[in-house]
Amino acid sequence: MIIPLLQGLKVTLKYLFAKKVTLQYPDEKPQLARRWRGRHVLKTHASGKIKCVACMLCATACPAECISIVAAAEPDNRKYPESYVLDMGRCIWCGHCVEVCPKEAIEMATAYELAEYTREDLIYDKEALLQSPQERYVVEKRKAG
Amino acid sequence: MVTIYVDNMPYQVREGQNLLVACLSLGFDIPHFCWHPALHSVGSCRLCAVKIFRDENDTRGRIFMSCMTPATEGVRISINDPEARHFRASVIEWLMLNHPHDCPVCDEGGECHLQDMTVMTGHVYRRTRKKKRTYSNQNLGPFINHEMNRCIQCYRCVRFYRDYAGGRDLDVFGVHSRVYFGRLEEGALENEFSGNLVEICPTGVFTDKTFKKRYTRKWDLQTAPSICVHCGLGCNTIAGERYGTLRRILNRYNGQVNGYFLCDRGRFGYDFLNSDRRVREPLAKTGQGSGSTALEPISADEALSRLVDIVQNSSRVIGIGSPRTPLEANFALRDLVGEENFSSGMAQAEQDLVSLIVHILREGPAPSASLRELESADAALILGEDLTNTAPMMALYLRQSVRRKPMAVVNELRIPGWLDAAVRGAVQGNKGPLFIAAPIAAGLDDVATETYHAAPDDIARLGFAVAHELDTQAPAVVDLPADRHALAVRIAAALREAERPVVVSGTSSMSPAVIQAAANVAWALHSRGRQVTLSFVAPECNSLGVALMEGRSLEDAIEMAERGQVDTVVTLENDLFARAPRDLVDRLRASCRNFVVIDHCLTGTAEVADLVLPAAAFAESQGTLVNNEGRAQRSYRVFPAPDPIGESRRWLSKAVMARARGRTEEWESFDDLVTRMRQALPVFQPVSNLAPSADARIVGRKIARQPHRCSGRTAMLANVSMREPPPPRDADSPLSFSMEGFQGISPPPLNPRYWAPGWNSAQSLNKFQEEIAGPLRGGDPGQRLIEPRDNGGREYFNAIPVAFSPSDDEWLILPSYHIFGSEELSALSPAIAERIPSAYVAIGEEDADLLGMSEGMLARVEIAGAAESLPARIVADLPRGVALLPKGLERLKGLAIPVRARIGKAVQAEKS
Repeated sequence: MIIPLLQGLKVTLKYLFAKKVTLQYPDEKPQLARRWRGRHVLKTHASGKIKCVACMLCATACPAECISIVAAAEPDNRKYPESYVLDMGRCIWCGHCVEVCPKEAIEMATAYELAEYTREDLIYDKEALLQSPQERYVVEKRKAG
Repeated sequence: MVTIYVDNMPYQVREGQNLLVACLSLGFDIPHFCWHPALHSVGSCRLCAVKIFRDENDTRGRIFMSCMTPATEGVRISINDPEARHFRASVIEWLMLNHPHDCPVCDEGGECHLQDMTVMTGHVYRRTRKKKRTYSNQNLGPFINHEMNRCIQCYRCVRFYRDYAGGRDLDVFGVHSRVYFGRLEEGALENEFSGNLVEICPTGVFTDKTFKKRYTRKWDLQTAPSICVHCGLGCNTIAGERYGTLRRILNRYNGQVNGYFLCDRGRFGYDFLNSDRRVREPLAKTGQGSGSTALEPISADEALSRLVDIVQNSSRVIGIGSPRTPLEANFALRDLVGEENFSSGMAQAEQDLVSLIVHILREGPAPSASLRELESADAALILGEDLTNTAPMMALYLRQSVRRKPMAVVNELRIPGWLDAAVRGAVQGNKGPLFIAAPIAAGLDDVATETYHAAPDDIARLGFAVAHELDTQAPAVVDLPADRHALAVRIAAALREAERPVVVSGTSSMSPAVIQAAANVAWALHSRGRQVTLSFVAPECNSLGVALMEGRSLEDAIEMAERGQVDTVVTLENDLFARAPRDLVDRLRASCRNFVVIDHCLTGTAEVADLVLPAAAFAESQGTLVNNEGRAQRSYRVFPAPDPIGESRRWLSKAVMARARGRTEEWESFDDLVTRMRQALPVFQPVSNLAPSADARIVGRKIARQPHRCSGRTAMLANVSMREPPPPRDADSPLSFSMEGFQGISPPPLNPRYWAPGWNSAQSLNKFQEEIAGPLRGGDPGQRLIEPRDNGGREYFNAIPVAFSPSDDEWLILPSYHIFGSEELSALSPAIAERIPSAYVAIGEEDADLLGMSEGMLARVEIAGAAESLPARIVADLPRGVALLPKGLERLKGLAIPVRARIGKAVQAEKS
């Protein structure tokens, strides 16, 4: 009778002194894998020009059909997306858009704190996607504190 | 029929084809580049290699080009032989050596024949690291974008442009690996068929510049079968839409009508739909009375209540229909106002000409020719038409017909007709008989046997003389000059020799005598047992259709209104100022209390209306058009017009319901309206058989207008509204505004696009045809409404006009036509507008000497008291006493041509 009790206590003691796995989220942030599929980012060249050439492959590959692009061309025929709308509320985070992009123009960053109060706010346009994601929760918390 | 063995399986194919055509017709995939069904084989790309075996015991076989090898009895080939496959992959590899691989930014990407063929052959990896050759591109005008780096030297473009369409300004330059396809100097492509390069080019060298401005991948376009509205030929098109704007027109093959090609007006004229002249909301004059107050936008509900109010309180309403509007809308108007108050919207002169054509096609023994039949005519006589500018596709097919007669040599030499280079070598530039009698030199003159430039009366006299030479029963022309008589004899001899001659005429000379002369020639040939066909050019896309409704002419309607019995005039999609003199329309406007216009563009007529209702244009409405042949064809909505724009017949149906209190039979759906039209006008009996009715389904589903790959459905409108709206419903047709629905090969009248697995480009058409260049699977769409009566023996026309005699102080003003500019809707497209010539008056050299005028000098043209100063254009072969004014150009709208006018030097010209 005492032996199973000691066995159980052994497990308890082992975890008591082992390294803790529970993260004090949101005060602590998890270490994310490098291939984590977080929020999308549209990349730019060093010159600041958008890498995307509006080939529509991401929109076509998207199984949730949540990307919509309007193409335009500069006077020198260089193509770019005039508008790039991504509905995060519909996105299923499959990463097909990244995989299919021939220009490495869209990437999935590690940001995951994307909750909003309205669905409208989940629709990201080109300007929003061009900015690297902010760690919003922490910022707001500090503001509050 | 012969038996061929493909990979050891026997197949029956038609004799005399080449193996490529035979195999494609059987449904096999053989990669190819330089072969095109209309341009035939030259064997230059080496891609269609297959292995041929001597007999069943031969295991080695030899590689042959399938496009250069006839399908003979017992030939054994293998398409899937490993060696042949390897050979084809190698060919693609070296064709791709210099290809930039810029598919993401290339407009052709996703509908590229080169992409398809590369995938089909299995070539995937570039092994060389050599530099690619690069070129500089040319600005080829408003229609075509040029990107030479993508070229794979298949020569299709120059073979089409020069050999097929007769263009001169696109050519191939350079040697071996640095071959350049372009113009000698930058500039707009001059040929009227340059737009076909977009579809001919297997890769992205020539792409649609108007589409580039609003580029969308092929798989994102919502498409539907449509009919071109820019001339009377009724070419079949596929119109494509995305984000609520019409974005491009592609050819839709119809074995009886337009085959593989379209003219530039038809391909690039669509943009009027997106123009700022569109009426996008109802407009009304807010103040009472007419003329003074301006049009202001009102709500749809208010517009409707005003319309209902107007028709309910009018004792008599006149409806003015339109030859550029489908039958159904015209009939809805006729239903609203009653048969006796319905006008066809055509001026008397035009209506008489079109009615005469209908009469001739109905009565005469000679049937009307379909557009494709013109291609196989072995002799042609054109009377009074500048086809390149009035009915461009007809000119393209007649250009091919001159190759028909010399083919006798080819057959004698036993060269197969599809061996293009050998055929051209054997023919040596010989041309079959094509005679043109027209006021001025036209685009087809370079292939004509003989041309005769004269006033319409003289052209008619020549026609009558030819008819008399063919059949002495036909009335003779007295006092015809000897040279003209000799010409008539030569034309008659050439036509008599032919087996399938065609006589072409039309309304553009505005002369009934010319049309009658053409009929006499055709009937005389028929009496001699020839398989003669007649082909008349109709001025607009539904001219014959409204003529069959037998409404009043515009002048009649105006007279009726003036007699003071009319409260309201409803004008349907018609710019009256373009058809009748200004004062006549003003009188109509002044004589009625309410002037309602239903139109899609703000025309001059709409500007003077009390109430303007926004109508849907061709790609936003469903309807039936009757082309110059008398063929009724159905056009479908590509996308629903945004509110409050409505289809004309919808506005009219509400008016009908308001007016006809207590009438039981009503039409709500399109099919109901067609049924009512058939009952009221039996001539339209076949219209309901044109296409499956609205409740037809394929395996229980509607046909999807969007391809299965269509992207962005949930995000397209996300920036407008979070709630994804349901797709618009289409109660009028078996097509759906969605990607959900049947995606396979649909019945030809409903087929919204060409796509087959592995074939993303327009070349996938071969999967939709019964045999290559033959009818579509399921039959070519469209039905002829006018067939000649069986029993022959019609009376010849005998009203031969007197010879035209020029006078010294008055000129006969005739219209001159321009492919870009003479048609009012396409002229609103920005790309077309760039190519519209400025207004001018054309006079002959002799007249110019007489007046002391030179090119570009301002001339004063005085017509019925009104004078206009126009720069003179001196045309060498214009007959004496005749002057031309361009039809449709803004400043010259509504002139009642032909008319006599005085021409002199303008005062300003002397100053400069």
